[in-house]
Amino acid sequence: MKNFAKIGLLAAAAFALPACSSLGAGESGFSSFAAVQVKRVSVGDGSLSVVAPRPWNRTRPLGYVDIRVVEDWTLNGPYLDGISFVSGLKNDRYLVYQRRTTSQQVPKFRSNMTPPEIAAMIESLFRVRGGAIEYRTLGIAPRPFLGTNGFQYDYEHLDTDELWRKGRAVGAVIDGRLYLILLDAARSHYYPATLPDFEAIVASAQLRRG
Amino acid sequence: MCRNHVDRRSLLIGGGVAAASLTTGVAHARVRPQDMVPLVGPGFRPTDKDEQGLWQLMDRAEEEIAGSNLLIKDPALTGYLGDLIEKVGGPAAKDFRIYLAHIPDFNAMMFPSGFSVIYSGLLLRARNEAQLAGVIAHETAHFLRRHMIRSWRDQRRKTDIFAIGSMVAGVGGAAGGVNVGDFVQLAQLGTILSLFTYSRGMEAEADAMGAKLLAETGYPPIEMANVWEQLIGEEAASARYRRKRRRRGSLFDTHPSPDSRMADLRISAAEVTVPGRAYDNRRAQYLSTIAPIRQMLLDDQVKLNDPGASTYLINTLARDGWNGLMRFYEGEIWRLRNRPGDDVRSSQSYAAAVIYPDAPADAFRWHGISLLKAGRSGEARTAFARYLTMKPDAPDAAWVRQMMG
Repeated sequence: MKNFAKIGLLAAAAFALPACSSLGAGESGFSSFAAVQVKRVSVGDGSLSVVAPRPWNRTRPLGYVDIRVVEDWTLNGPYLDGISFVSGLKNDRYLVYQRRTTSQQVPKFRSNMTPPEIAAMIESLFRVRGGAIEYRTLGIAPRPFLGTNGFQYDYEHLDTDELWRKGRAVGAVIDGRLYLILLDAARSHYYPATLPDFEAIVASAQLRRG
Repeated sequence: MCRNHVDRRSLLIGGGVAAASLTTGVAHARVRPQDMVPLVGPGFRPTDKDEQGLWQLMDRAEEEIAGSNLLIKDPALTGYLGDLIEKVGGPAAKDFRIYLAHIPDFNAMMFPSGFSVIYSGLLLRARNEAQLAGVIAHETAHFLRRHMIRSWRDQRRKTDIFAIGSMVAGVGGAAGGVNVGDFVQLAQLGTILSLFTYSRGMEAEADAMGAKLLAETGYPPIEMANVWEQLIGEEAASARYRRKRRRRGSLFDTHPSPDSRMADLRISAAEVTVPGRAYDNRRAQYLSTIAPIRQMLLDDQVKLNDPGASTYLINTLARDGWNGLMRFYEGEIWRLRNRPGDDVRSSQSYAAAVIYPDAPADAFRWHGISLLKAGRSGEARTAFARYLTMKPDAPDAAWVRQMMG
């Protein structure tokens, strides 16, 4: 598993990261946390903004493996919970940095993807990078997001550290780009404890056009 | 205790790589199956202190593994595997235990006290019962020839560092870690296993004795060579696809020299085959036993999006005949690969899949989605309707209904 995982990548990579690092650093670099205040903040490349109902922590990756349109937050550390923002992923791009020679690849995003295809892309991300060994789709349903027809995707997965995690992604493809907010947290306690925050953040999400 | 990686797969792999680096490159003479006699009898228990200590450690390890929630515990499957290891276990048949870990790789291991762990990826790759039994026979042979204790003593004589005490400390350390699940115990044991470092000679012994056990049980012994050939092919296909050398961390790292080994396996198979005797690979029994989890096994593999390996695998399994499940997963490989033209390929596979009576419900959903994207909404509706009939509680039913209009 010599992948250059994006640091804090959608929280998935966290499962393969050092258990006891206080920094949550990835295999390939360093990162630090910065507080996210309770006010409107830009996420990802700045094209999306949200308001958190209480302070969260932004994982600030350093190094060249960063995907500019992806940003990760955590409340209690990436092992336990995380919210990831995808702010306009372009056609033919990947959610994570990966080498072309890596045998197991996270599938690329295509503008014409339907919600089940986006869900499948996320599933492979967790299987390939997070080491998920059991993965269940709990629901894919239409849901308005950013003032357009989006979708909600619910899932849960058992990882190699024997912890069941549960997640919800709310997203939409707008002008051919993927906008997505994803919560992934330990199924017991942390998921239900952070879901209200997630819902508030999703409800607050605004697109910055122009 | 702090560990840099809690990913058990990397630890297991790490162990394998270490083992490979410790083996020598010296060519070996082929071991003849007829020379392979078991070195333990029924109910074997260690008598000297060293080995007793090792067994105690392994008892603890087994307890941990038996309680892991990464195991597949379906009684029909575990009972089947228990029967298999009993069949090919020679004099120690009644003394073995076997666990099935839910991990998509091809791997199997035997621990010194007589319990074995096999990965679910092995069940996907075996084309019949004989192939699976062949791998298990190889593992039991390691036990019957007392390879672990021999190797461990040999290592200790050379280096004097692999004392039982340090191994206990290793396992204890993992147990004390934060956020460390039971499976890391297994990973840790993978590392411990690598300390036993089977030499090429031991691997050759296990192959020869495995072939003998397989033939005696009535399976065609050539299937051991076949499963090995398939594994070589899969590794090569995966590497070729990414234009690189074969990936590290496979069985090859602990089992060197794949080509000469395959040649030896073929010769041994011929030697232990008795002319006129009927051998049965029990394919039908095998397929019906794994049927309830076969889709899960394919899912585990294909969704890792390693198109080289997955295509090779599907084509290998389909040598025994295509069916709806195989065609569906062929489509899944293209869809996830997503290169130009792959959307057409995948839609063709889905269209082919749904013609078969055994097509899974998911094939109709993806068939519907590809029809929808091609602008054939009427046909898509029919496919979606079939999907919802087959899977009334489908998790994406709300989305599918919206698509149906």
